[in-house]
Amino acid sequence: MKTDFQTIILKLQEYWSQQGCVILQPYDAEVGAGTFHPATTLKALGPKPWRAAYVQPSRRPADGRYGENPNRLYRHHQYQVILKPSPDNVQDIYLESLKYIGLNPTLHDIRFVEDDWESPTLGASGLGWEVWGDGQEITQFTYFQQVGGFACDPVPVELTYGLERLVMLLQGIENVYDLDWNGAKGEAHMTYGDVALQMEKEFSAFSFEHVDAPMIFRHFEDAEAMSNQLVKSKLVLPAYEYCLKASHLFNLLDARGVLSVTERVNYIGRVRTLARQCCELWMESNHG
Amino acid sequence: MAEWLLEILSEEIPSRMQKGAQEQLKELTKKHLEEKGLGFKTINGFVTPRRLTVVVDGLPLQTPERLEEKKGPRVDAPQVVIEGFLRTAGIRRDQCEDRETPKGTFLFVMKKVPSQPTREILSQIAPSILEQFRWPKSMRWGSSPTTWVRPIRGLLSVFEGEIAPFTYVGVEASNHTYGHRFIAPGPFTVKNFKEYEQKLRDHFVILNWEERRSLIHQGITQIAQKDHLALLEDESLLDEVAGLVEWPVALKGTIDTHFMELPLEVITTPMRVHQRYFPLMDSEGKLSPTFGLIANTETKDHGKTIVIGNERVLRARLADAQFFWEQDQKKPLASFNEALKTRLFHQHLGSLFDKVERLVKSSAQLAKKVRADPKIVGRAALLSKADLASQMVGEFPELQGIMGRYYAENQGEAPEVALAIEEHYWPKVSGGAIPEAIPSLILAMADRLDTLVGFFTIGITPSGSKDPFALRRAGLSLIALSLNPHFSLSMIDLLECAYDAYAWSEFTSPILKNKEEVIPDLWQFLLERFKFTLRDVQASPYDHVDAVLGIAHENFVFADLALRVKALDQLMEKEDGENLLVAYKRASNILKIEEEKDKSSYDGSVLENLLTSPEEKNLFKDLQIKYPEIQTFIQKSNFIKAVQSLAELRLSVDQFFDHVIVNIEDKKLRANRLHLLALLRKTMHQIADFSKIEG
Repeated sequence: MKTDFQTIILKLQEYWSQQGCVILQPYDAEVGAGTFHPATTLKALGPKPWRAAYVQPSRRPADGRYGENPNRLYRHHQYQVILKPSPDNVQDIYLESLKYIGLNPTLHDIRFVEDDWESPTLGASGLGWEVWGDGQEITQFTYFQQVGGFACDPVPVELTYGLERLVMLLQGIENVYDLDWNGAKGEAHMTYGDVALQMEKEFSAFSFEHVDAPMIFRHFEDAEAMSNQLVKSKLVLPAYEYCLKASHLFNLLDARGVLSVTERVNYIGRVRTLARQCCELWMESNHG
Repeated sequence: MAEWLLEILSEEIPSRMQKGAQEQLKELTKKHLEEKGLGFKTINGFVTPRRLTVVVDGLPLQTPERLEEKKGPRVDAPQVVIEGFLRTAGIRRDQCEDRETPKGTFLFVMKKVPSQPTREILSQIAPSILEQFRWPKSMRWGSSPTTWVRPIRGLLSVFEGEIAPFTYVGVEASNHTYGHRFIAPGPFTVKNFKEYEQKLRDHFVILNWEERRSLIHQGITQIAQKDHLALLEDESLLDEVAGLVEWPVALKGTIDTHFMELPLEVITTPMRVHQRYFPLMDSEGKLSPTFGLIANTETKDHGKTIVIGNERVLRARLADAQFFWEQDQKKPLASFNEALKTRLFHQHLGSLFDKVERLVKSSAQLAKKVRADPKIVGRAALLSKADLASQMVGEFPELQGIMGRYYAENQGEAPEVALAIEEHYWPKVSGGAIPEAIPSLILAMADRLDTLVGFFTIGITPSGSKDPFALRRAGLSLIALSLNPHFSLSMIDLLECAYDAYAWSEFTSPILKNKEEVIPDLWQFLLERFKFTLRDVQASPYDHVDAVLGIAHENFVFADLALRVKALDQLMEKEDGENLLVAYKRASNILKIEEEKDKSSYDGSVLENLLTSPEEKNLFKDLQIKYPEIQTFIQKSNFIKAVQSLAELRLSVDQFFDHVIVNIEDKKLRANRLHLLALLRKTMHQIADFSKIEG
């Protein structure tokens, strides 16, 4: 069975499509995790059923390592699935998806290890596990209990596959940059490094050395103000997008090391307020 | 006699909650059966990551007929209410008893509860057991408002071979369950517990937690012994892994040799904490590159794929650790202090760097008091928290102090300084090792004193179950540290010293207590912990502790107080002690009665010329020697000798009470004898307040 990076993504798209999921595209703004996509954050709230799956490139400026660490990335890829309400056989459906991409659970040691999840910037939390494959965390499995300070009813379940780690396990390799990206032979063969190394190097340099802190502080203020205005105008999706921008700008400032402990808490609080306002508006306007 | 088997099959239960859940299910089941008047012979609980089970044996098939008392409305309640009660109870007014209670007179009725099939009762109580169950943390799932630790996916309820039906969270109880998630998922049906346990085993599930734990221990030990290695004993790791697997299979892995040069803790922490692997030691006590791991499954390739995967994960973890080890040592340890300036100790108590500065100040003072080298202590204090800003401790918080020691050693700091950086976190657990080196001890005390004084001053004290800053533990640690007999310092002085190290004027806490409020509060708080320590650790009886603390309120040295209690414990174990106690009680009883009668108090000013009988002369002579002797011993903190000296009084005391009558006609002689008894009491009070001792 083919285990290159893009085949695994295609297989997951195929599998979750068969489960009745809406296959979406990544959110087209910088986010730190698939959870931030409005298809998860906002759609998790409210009574309407919702099933969606998508790849989300996720940026973590503080995790950048200039392409020198075999496991840590400025930008990694998550495969995100959200199912609301959580189906009774969700664990089985999930384990089937592993089989579908060639991870045979009778040959590997698949385990559900307690790991509760919390996002202070989203005011969200849930209970669940990290799923281990031979000691490697390959998926975060969470039953959302609240988002933006609102209780989720019905409860959605979120499955977040760490695509690089999962494929490293399948390909049996040690360095992410050696991942076979496209499974092609000869000149057409591309590794993860061929595709992503330059980005890792340049964005690590950007976030650790070249972020112009005063400018980013200003951008944060602007994004916050914009989001607030849009909430007043009852435009929930644009308001939420500016909340995401503020969140990413905060991550940049954090990675640059220009926030003291108290300031850091303060900025997290400001992003959470934006997220909460958006969720509130979402609930009021009965989109859920 | 019949058996009931109840299994709640759920998604994976967190390991740390399993044992508690097993107990709780047993207790709740017991309670419900008792409420229904259902007797039974045995009850047992079991738990695995996916199932919580209780089995009750020796139940009757029918409940016995019984009487149940029902309380109705007050006798003066409106007529409609009374009629309603009578109607539901199916009785007439004259069948009720009018009974007075502290809240008024109420109607009571004894209702006959007819015999009922046990199966019906079980169907009633099962949902109620689940409803009343409380998890440390629980969740909702799907569209149901009901909570459990993780979603419930199956219920098995079998009584006498047949289903005892009930429904909970939309799941209907059945007589079947499932096996191992991957090797033998099932389902299969069961008739009774014996079959249940056996079939689970056939389906690769070991039901019993203890059995799984010992299989894990055996499996790892076997791997170790094959290579002449030994398991690094770790009870909590064994406990945790027993809750992570239903079918434990021990496998052998290898650490890449080039990582073996890293410090022991740097290798074993990610192994144990993150990966739950078992480190193995060679015959020289050195870490072996071989380690044990527990899989939850058997595979065709005998775990080969699993081992390769796990070794790869460990390599990645250790590569990280090695990177941190190298990066951290590119900078002098002291330079990490800069980063502590932006890390809060507490919002109202400044940064961690502020704390370090206070520790430098206060530990220098402590060093002076015990004549330790202030340079060593000061340096250790300055570096004590630096490693908290290192990358290694950022990734592995368990390594705080330990990394500081390694980095300090490698950078040529004095050995005592390096040691104190690690040991100032001791005792790490209650009852854990206490540092022997004086600089370590000083720094360990200074750190706890700083924390306690700080939080008490801004009004944060432990109350009830709330103690978010672990101040009780800090108190207990401080006491354990101050019991070193060569380190006898007044706790009040220590607290003052810690208080003065704070630059209070720079803080803007809404509450800032002054020294005169804080120190007595903290002393009382510590005294309570101290009593607890003596009773718990030194096994001293309550009354001995009270007797010593009763007279020692002016003595603020815990080491002395502990020794004094111990000496008293020793005295009271012997006949001499008991005898003296009897004499003491007689003396103080007589004194109490006579002092009340005479409306005056006797203080021990005996006039020698008024002593007549040889026994009272003898006692007086002895007391004159013993009183100052005991005093001297106590001043030297030699409590064992002081108590021995006191015990030697026994003969003259016994003879006095055998031959001398205190309450005689002659008023002068009588008063003199009362003074003699007061002198005896005073002598004994130097050791402890014997009136507080039971016996």
